[in-house]
Amino acid sequence: MRDDVRLVSDLSALATGVVFIVGLVVLGFRLAQIQLVDAAKYLEDGSRQAARRVQTAGPRGRIIARDGTVLADNRASVSIVVSPEGFQRRNWTETVSAISNAIESVASAIETPSPLSANAIARHVRQQLARPLVVWRDVGDEQIARLVERESEFPGFECVETEERTYPEGRLAAHVIGYVGRGETTSAAGEKFNFRDKEMKGRAGLEAFYDGYLRGSPGEVSVTVDARGFAVAEETVVEARRGPDLKLTIDPKIQRSVERQLRGEYAACAVMDPRDGAVLALASAPAYDLNLLVPRLTPEMQERYVGNHACRNRACFETYAPGSTFKPVTALAGLAAGRSALAEYECTGVFSLGGMRLHCARRWGHGPIDMRHALKESCNTYFCNLGSEIGTNALFAAARAFGLGEKTGLDFPQDSAGVVPSAEFKRRNYNLPWYAGDLAQASIGQGQLLVTPLQMARVAGAIGTGRLVRPHLRADAPVESSPLPFSQRQLAVVREGMRMVVDGGTGKLAGEGVAVPVAGKTGTAEVGRGATRRKNTWFIAYAPAENPTVAVAMVVENGMSGGGTTAPKVGEVLKTIFGEL
Amino acid sequence: MKFLEYIKRFNWITFAAMLALIALGTAAIYSAGNARSGEVFHVMWKANLGTAVFGLAVYLALAFFDYRKYITVSAIPAYALAVVLLVVVLLVGTSTYGGRRWLWFFQPSEVSKLCVISMLAWLFGPTDSPPWMRGFRGFLLAAALVGVPAVLILKEPDLGTMLTLMPATALMLFVARVWRRALVVALCAAVVGGTALLGAVYEAEKPGVPEARREAIMKYVPLKPHQVKRVRVFLFPDEDPNAAGYNLRQALISIGSGGFSGKGFRRGETNHLKYLPQSISMNDFIFCVYAEEAGFVGSVLLLALFGALLVPCAWTAYVVTDGTGRLLALGVSTLVFAHVFINIAMSVGLVPITGLPLPFISAGRTFLVTVMAGLGIVQSVSIHGRETRT
Repeated sequence: MRDDVRLVSDLSALATGVVFIVGLVVLGFRLAQIQLVDAAKYLEDGSRQAARRVQTAGPRGRIIARDGTVLADNRASVSIVVSPEGFQRRNWTETVSAISNAIESVASAIETPSPLSANAIARHVRQQLARPLVVWRDVGDEQIARLVERESEFPGFECVETEERTYPEGRLAAHVIGYVGRGETTSAAGEKFNFRDKEMKGRAGLEAFYDGYLRGSPGEVSVTVDARGFAVAEETVVEARRGPDLKLTIDPKIQRSVERQLRGEYAACAVMDPRDGAVLALASAPAYDLNLLVPRLTPEMQERYVGNHACRNRACFETYAPGSTFKPVTALAGLAAGRSALAEYECTGVFSLGGMRLHCARRWGHGPIDMRHALKESCNTYFCNLGSEIGTNALFAAARAFGLGEKTGLDFPQDSAGVVPSAEFKRRNYNLPWYAGDLAQASIGQGQLLVTPLQMARVAGAIGTGRLVRPHLRADAPVESSPLPFSQRQLAVVREGMRMVVDGGTGKLAGEGVAVPVAGKTGTAEVGRGATRRKNTWFIAYAPAENPTVAVAMVVENGMSGGGTTAPKVGEVLKTIFGEL
Repeated sequence: MKFLEYIKRFNWITFAAMLALIALGTAAIYSAGNARSGEVFHVMWKANLGTAVFGLAVYLALAFFDYRKYITVSAIPAYALAVVLLVVVLLVGTSTYGGRRWLWFFQPSEVSKLCVISMLAWLFGPTDSPPWMRGFRGFLLAAALVGVPAVLILKEPDLGTMLTLMPATALMLFVARVWRRALVVALCAAVVGGTALLGAVYEAEKPGVPEARREAIMKYVPLKPHQVKRVRVFLFPDEDPNAAGYNLRQALISIGSGGFSGKGFRRGETNHLKYLPQSISMNDFIFCVYAEEAGFVGSVLLLALFGALLVPCAWTAYVVTDGTGRLLALGVSTLVFAHVFINIAMSVGLVPITGLPLPFISAGRTFLVTVMAGLGIVQSVSIHGRETRT
């Protein structure tokens, strides 16, 4: 009995030892599966949960004028940032208030109030914890000095070098350049980032149109975060690269001259090369200093300038009735319809059609007048009659042949089509039928016809060269042009008429003292009725008259007359370009 | 007996394994503690090492004195004291993580396990004990002796600690031939019951089970909500990895990412970046901290050391002639093995997560001293228990 007891007990002891070994071996197999077979998967899971992909911004490219003048540049700027890692507390509320308190004490040390609300700090902690929080952007040397002096008192705070946009020429071509704001980096579809740094984003003008071109190529930083999301280490994966420079067709010399002529007016001017469409100057007044919009567009500046109706872009966004500057188009429409340039019309000073009476600039009439002289003297009755004879379709076909009523194709966010009206257009917008009077009005550039100065510069250039070009602002943009549907003989008539306008006609002030012969056309468009009645005065021109290299269109709101107000200003611009006699 | 004889009979393998485990444990606690914020955790390894030195003194003292003498004297008072302390801890103990387990600086539940084992060994070990003790009444007595502290521990509540006591006491009673039929039935009942429990939770919680059916099944499952959650994580580890399954997922990531050779001492990212739950990384999940830094090589080394620690204890049980000594050796080694197996198994997802320390590796001073005292007694059995044979 006793031996039996011993035997069983001994076997139990041995069995226990065997169970120990088997148990440990089972654990060993399971560990082999986890640590050897599946190790790669777990290693990846581990690094994935601890890694945060951050897209960083590359510096923005510059905007450079034709002659190398830098119009938009980046300047070094210092921001004060705080890293949340040093403010870990038991819970998020305490972490946020710890950061908030630290910011307050730095604020008093550098004597600059914090621009961040408690909510903004809390939002950063909630959403961007692994990234430093930018507290003060673009701080001055004095503030930096104050912080550096007491740096040891403020752990977690740091001065970081960043870049801000700067516009060395200030107001020059302000409407063309536009301005930038700040936004998160963008990347190709499918690319997933946990955080995206802020970078400059074009909000208007060329900064907006060429935003994708100017933006640097983004970099990537990999941040290792702990379980609560605080950054522990970071490593640059891809270096951010600077964006390319944007070279413009704008000639600062001409642009400056144009802006000098527009100063103090509500006015706009477009100057382009009619051979290739290069826009040499594009100006709108009043303008503003772009540096006022850096580092950010404040609501105050928004109200005063950018969003202000008075500061809107008059050169290619605002539309005007072209007035008499449309007459060369009417003339070509007439020639294309088979009218003779030499046929004379008896101007009595008034054109009557049904109950409507249209007066000529010369109240007592020009007497018998042919096309060239009608252009030279800007005879209203001649063109009212011509337009009425050829009809709506023929007139507006010519207008469309000059690209009116459609966008010019300018590489710019604002490119108004204007309006070339029609019976259908008038019914839709005014619920009125198309009268014969509308046609007569349109023949002299009044009524519902609307154009931009840029479109009219293009019209002037097309008459001078015989080809309609697409205007462009980027220097290496492809040249696109198409021939006008008019014969050289037809064009020659209008060219001669426009040459006569400057050579002793209504626009003679545009050609005085200019080293080359100028061809042009005045325009005085009446808008409004009664108390709001005013005149927008135009001048369009191309020069030299033979083989033109420059086409100009300028409008001055509330002027006296195209010949008196605008023509001399265009003359000054042309003198800058071609020199004085 | 001569001192030289002591040295000769001293089980060096288990002793060396124990020292090596203490060294590895100190390193693991250092690494786990330094990942936590709080000065107290950074120096935890020193406190633990100090405790190990104290434990070593206890170990050597218990090893060199004849266990028969002190077990005879202390079995009843120690058991009684343990029960009293278990009652006291329920009344005035300190609460941590939803349980009343601490009495000032130590946990009575850990000590009580050793007291229960010595009590059983002292009572049922001698082969000349009265025959009734091998029968039904003996079983009742044993059940009462184990049951009272078990119920008190369960009240804390500390299910894990209570569970580790079961295989040790069951094995002791089996070896002592106390109403074996009941033991076999109990074992079968435990297996069937456990399987049924798992099956029931599986049926109720598997995807696509309507709410009504789930509730109908769960009505019969005697588990608390947090226990059901742990079983569910065990059954469906990939479900809900950010909430309920978070701990297991992080445990697997840390162990698995250690790979073959580990990330190196103090380089365990899952631990140092605090993905591994900080509240238990030094205790229940310390194996993850260790395995991440030591890799598969280190894990196997650790398992080998536990083998070297425990298998000689079973060998001692085999070679001793004294019944009490045999029961002590088996009881203590099975208790330690239960901790080792359940702790590592839960870390690798083989069993549901239960709060249990890993002997020598986890930071836990009461448990460390308890385990060392127990192994000291086994060493004493190795030295003194064979005397009658020679």
